[in-house]
Amino acid sequence: MSVLSVIGLTKRYPNFNLQDINFSLSQGKIMGLIGKNGAGKSTTLKCILNMVHPDSGTIKMFGQDFKANEEKCKQEIGVVLGGIDFYKHKKISDITATTKRFYKNWDEAAYQKYLQTFSLIPEKRVKDLSSGMKVKYMITLALSHNAKLLILDEPTSGLDPVSRDDLLGLFRQLVVDGERSILFSTHITSDLEKIADDITYIKDGNLLKSAKKAAFIESFQHLKEPGETGELSLEDIMIRTERSRYDV
Amino acid sequence: MFNLLYKELRIAAHPNLFVFTALGMLVIVPAYPYGMVFLFGCLGPFITFMYGRETNDIYYTALLPVKKSDTVKSKIMLVVLAQMTQLLISLPFAFLRVRVIPEGNPAGIEANVAYYGFGFMIYAVFNFIFLTYFFKTAYKVGNAFLLAMIPASLGVMFMEVIVHFPQFRWLDSIESKMMIRQLPILIIGLLAYVIMMFATYRVSVKHFEQVDL
Repeated sequence: MSVLSVIGLTKRYPNFNLQDINFSLSQGKIMGLIGKNGAGKSTTLKCILNMVHPDSGTIKMFGQDFKANEEKCKQEIGVVLGGIDFYKHKKISDITATTKRFYKNWDEAAYQKYLQTFSLIPEKRVKDLSSGMKVKYMITLALSHNAKLLILDEPTSGLDPVSRDDLLGLFRQLVVDGERSILFSTHITSDLEKIADDITYIKDGNLLKSAKKAAFIESFQHLKEPGETGELSLEDIMIRTERSRYDV
Repeated sequence: MFNLLYKELRIAAHPNLFVFTALGMLVIVPAYPYGMVFLFGCLGPFITFMYGRETNDIYYTALLPVKKSDTVKSKIMLVVLAQMTQLLISLPFAFLRVRVIPEGNPAGIEANVAYYGFGFMIYAVFNFIFLTYFFKTAYKVGNAFLLAMIPASLGVMFMEVIVHFPQFRWLDSIESKMMIRQLPILIIGLLAYVIMMFATYRVSVKHFEQVDL
């Protein structure tokens, strides 16, 4: 079953166009949204969340039109916007006390459990959390209201390798029971090598390909240079696709 | 809706908003231009909106399971709550002042019926310009404040200056008879405030719906 379908998503800016993006995320899967900086990953995610108004296209979430059922759908999702800290001078406990009031399915016991699991101290202020801890806190909030879909915009950017690996392991664990799904944008392709089921690649606002990871990698093997034997990695694929030459 | 107002007060509002709201009590100062109280009532929301931009309050709210129009409603309710609380706080001090320091305020208008009427008008104009302009972008707080402060300051100056002209001395009075004469100003002010706040909400929602965050 598809938890998220993006159909014909288009957004035009004066100097950038996101053109006809189509992909679908199945329940229990992790999809990686890749592309270099400025390719349109964040715009795609913001369009999905109706934070940015697309010029055309439809978003279906949990089988219903997102725009028409925005409040209902948002009850079931958790979002981490990379690089955006909320209320950095406030304590975790204050932000939680506010956030939980908005969710019908808030599970206090689960919240306490995740706080302990991730060693989050409620008295700490957001500014005192490391980047990895901030992501974990946002995920704690999402899991505590029983989010079925996690939309994560560059959650691992700026993290050290250990924290990144730690988070990736967590993401994999979260989808194990097949209940939750994750859409995860990143330019760190090695992250996806480890955990993604599907890959969607956006280049300069256009959808290059969206497929299962193995099929995705397979479809780009024509980029191999003469003499190369092994399979190209996601990083090789991205670099070779994006490589530009400067006439200087 | 109550939840959003709770959010505004607990994590979104800058502490300064509470301080400026409490400054309603300035009407007990023996010689002071009481119009400043209204300017503090405009400054409080400005600082909170600046703080909101710094704390990514709009992004946090946009991700909550609420309608986009509710984000606007909660901000407007916060501003109204702060300004009305400020005026409410000022009331006992206005009464007290007349008893404790019966000689008038040499600096400008007394905290009388006309004063509160002018206050409502000043707030109505400031709020309409500040909020509707802000929600065009949800980040240009400085421009919105500057634009809104011009008529608000002119309004305060007008109120403070006019009472020095002999033919308008009745506006400066705290005698019951004169205050009854001032009553239409209060009624017009209150009506203007209510009507303008509804208009502010409608126009701000229209603007904010177009904003790409």
